Amino acid sequence: MKLCIIGFGAVGKGVSRVISMKKEILKEKYGLDISVVAVTDRSGAAINPDGLDTDLLIETKEKTGKISEYPEYGVPDVTGIHVLNQVDYDCLIEVTPTNIDDGEPAKSHILTAMKDGKDVVTSNKGPLSLCFSELIEAANSNNSIFKYEASVGGAMPIINFAHETLAGNEISSVQGILNGTCNYILSRMANEGSPYVQTLNEAQELGIAETDPYQDVEGIDAACKIVILANSVLNMNVSLKDVQIEGISRITPESISLAKKEGFLIKLIGEASHNNLEVSPRLVREGSPFAVDGTLNVATLRTDLADDVTVAGKGAGSIETASAILSDIISIWKSSL
Amino acid sequence: MAISLLKKENGSDNMRLNLVLELLDVPGQLLDALDPIGKLGANIVAVIHQRDVKTERGTVPVHITLEGDEETLKRVLDSIEKMDIQIMEVDGVVKKEKITTIFIGNIVDQDLKETVKVLNNINGVSVADLDLKMSDNPTKSASRIVIEADYGIKKSLMENIKELGRSKGFLVINEV
Repeated sequence: MKLCIIGFGAVGKGVSRVISMKKEILKEKYGLDISVVAVTDRSGAAINPDGLDTDLLIETKEKTGKISEYPEYGVPDVTGIHVLNQVDYDCLIEVTPTNIDDGEPAKSHILTAMKDGKDVVTSNKGPLSLCFSELIEAANSNNSIFKYEASVGGAMPIINFAHETLAGNEISSVQGILNGTCNYILSRMANEGSPYVQTLNEAQELGIAETDPYQDVEGIDAACKIVILANSVLNMNVSLKDVQIEGISRITPESISLAKKEGFLIKLIGEASHNNLEVSPRLVREGSPFAVDGTLNVATLRTDLADDVTVAGKGAGSIETASAILSDIISIWKSSL
Repeated sequence: MAISLLKKENGSDNMRLNLVLELLDVPGQLLDALDPIGKLGANIVAVIHQRDVKTERGTVPVHITLEGDEETLKRVLDSIEKMDIQIMEVDGVVKKEKITTIFIGNIVDQDLKETVKVLNNINGVSVADLDLKMSDNPTKSASRIVIEADYGIKKSLMENIKELGRSKGFLVINEV
């Protein structure tokens, strides 16, 4: 299977690393021979129809910051769209940064690949939360397989789990902790009684919170995931503007201490049901499935046959997210056999 | 469970007990709920199971009338509770559930007393406990309100609380 990786930040490098680690096992176990034929970043691309060296891709990026510096096969100043139009590949791995204003350039990358009948795997929440139905229609009308497990909850299995393992169930709602940064901050505030700003600063120093944490702490990131879950798991047709959003920046140590007295923790909870699309701080019982510490993500799916099913897993991290992308690649491969 | 609510039937040792249970609308649920009743020696006098009548949670309320001696009926109630089947009413008395909510904001300026009065005026609702924590910054004060409400109205009550808090500029933190 020939892959084209558009975007070579933490997730793109994670995908490359995971392919290095698993290449031989994938061949033995599934007969899947992965070859990365093109990789792009802001600097340009590295392109080799016979396959690029995944370790050298990472080394080049880490040493020079530019994938176009890849020995012999580096091409400066070409765009992702240009590469997609020029290179022969089977599956696009779209892992550029999330843009929630217009979903670009990821949206164009994905649509370009689909129009050529290529399969697509993405972790990118932007286009999924802004124009989900358009992407699904494009995939269906071009016979392209579209997978996006990594867009919600990193390594926490939820979308494919709902579609495949819970097949036959009617799922009425999904509720959960969908942002690891917020969960880390609220856990620290609960454990240490520290104020919000100080805890956020510490999380930034540790690299858990972004330099600009706005989308995480104001609930936007979790809201994007709620939109994706509402559309893909509950078959709704909604976008980001339909979600009521309240973040965690107004949470105080006083409120956390009052909650604790009654046996509750405060968590940022996303909820998707046919009556409610919401991200807001909520009270969860200590000892309940939602009482998870640190950067973990957790979600409960309410079903008609299996009752409540709860899944948990690491919500971020390049290797963890790449794990979800790899599972999508394997799934596409299996369906082609 | 309030065994004193059980009523004797015309001087006999047998008592009659009316229950409303909350069941999931899934095949087998009603059978599972009825199973221990016969096994424990109580008689089922009536079962009213209308699948088209739903609670706000999407579950089905099932009315069951039982007959048996006091000890047997007590065991039946215990076993239903152990099965995690929600009992909504026992002999016409609606069970209460506790709901906790937290407000963050300029609580004192926004007249907490009035907030409590509004909540107490909602049918089937009473404020059971209130705790207040002032912050150095008055706009960041927090209060925890514990409410007792008739069984089954939790979801709509939480919506009311959210609206009430928002109208006063509070951040409202409801239960999941």
